Amino acid sequence: MAKKEIVNTSTNNDRKMRIKDLIFAGAFGAIYIVVMLIVVMVTGMVPVLYLMNPLFVGIVCATIYELCVLKVHKFGAALILGILFAVTASSGYLPGMFLAIGIAVLAEVVLLIGKYKSKKFFLISYLVFNLNMVCPFTNLYFNKSSFIAMATEYYGEKYANGVAALATGWMPFAQMGLAVLGAGIGVLIASKLIRKHFEKAGIV
Amino acid sequence: MDLTFYGEETKGLISVDPRTKVLIFITSSLVCVSSFSDLGIALYSVVLCILFALCGKPMTALKAGIALGVVLFVRAVMGSSQGAPELIVMILTLVTTSFMFAFPPIMSVLLIIKTTRISHFLSAFQAMHIPVKAIVPAAVFFRFLPTVTDEWNGIRKAMAFRGISLSPVQVITHPWRTIEYVLIPMLFSSISVMEELAAATMARGMDVDVRRSSYEKVKLRAADYLLIVLFIALFALSVIVGEMVKNGAFL
Repeated sequence: MAKKEIVNTSTNNDRKMRIKDLIFAGAFGAIYIVVMLIVVMVTGMVPVLYLMNPLFVGIVCATIYELCVLKVHKFGAALILGILFAVTASSGYLPGMFLAIGIAVLAEVVLLIGKYKSKKFFLISYLVFNLNMVCPFTNLYFNKSSFIAMATEYYGEKYANGVAALATGWMPFAQMGLAVLGAGIGVLIASKLIRKHFEKAGIV
Repeated sequence: MDLTFYGEETKGLISVDPRTKVLIFITSSLVCVSSFSDLGIALYSVVLCILFALCGKPMTALKAGIALGVVLFVRAVMGSSQGAPELIVMILTLVTTSFMFAFPPIMSVLLIIKTTRISHFLSAFQAMHIPVKAIVPAAVFFRFLPTVTDEWNGIRKAMAFRGISLSPVQVITHPWRTIEYVLIPMLFSSISVMEELAAATMARGMDVDVRRSSYEKVKLRAADYLLIVLFIALFALSVIVGEMVKNGAFL
């Protein structure tokens, strides 16, 4: 990005979350969830692509996340986004939900290390944040028999067997790798788009 | 789908507390991941439609109910007919399954959006002594879902008007361009809506750390308690039926 540091004097000293920031976080949460659902719905038809979703969501949604944290740049934006994600996307399996919230806290810690100023840390934090795309799948790894039973009932045996054959021991790690890779590609696009459109318009 | 940004409940036969609606949303999202049978979800969805009608949106409830009936009929026909072309069966299974799976959560979110005023939502949760910092993002989240779908429709029309298609071929051959063309206008217009929303809340004095008074009467009535018990019972029922299906009781 062109500017190394964000110089936003009006709110820089204000470390408290104001109502304005809460509104931004909630609204970006809605955009993030809707876009994610569209991506998952389109790719979810094929078992292989369904399991590769962390990659696609990372690529598409990085811009939304970056814009959210750049717009608010205070403690809490990533956390609120993460909690909204956890409650809506992985509430079906409680350990997965708490894992997603934990990942959001980690992303927030990365932002904290960068003191909410360093653009590098804003970008890195999404690499952590996107790991939460693995959380909706935790049901599949830790509770496999019930997941397969459900997939059989809903989608038929072919689809269930397809997912079951793919969900072997190394799959969670592959998904985490895909999540980081997707987030990496995503933040490259995001930094490009933000420089091209939003910095010019004076939004961030 | 005509989504209005501001819910209203004046035409409703019963007035349901926002907290009850949020509980219904939670049970709905749990039902679709823990029930393994069409039967459980169908029963749950029908009750949800009836509740929707009672809350003052009979037309939406009717449309959703008819769609649900058609999907269930198609699934029943597919289950009983042998020797149909495999590809058609597979596609239909995917489409109808996604519909069944998404029906309860989507209907309950619509229930919150369409029949709840934001001020009612805020004051109900403030009565539970939940801090404003937790309520506001949730309220904005629900308020913003219809906005995002609205923006999405507008962008699609604008793109079609300029001769840029959103067909699968275009998306696959130009993925980066598609991301840029869809995301950037959506984010730009959403941000301006957010800024207006923020200005409006500032003007209403939400930023002050003082407990706000409200004209809204917040009270859980008999109907609310009845609905809470009913939906938890329905959830339990669909889980039990699901367990029975899983263990092969109906096979």
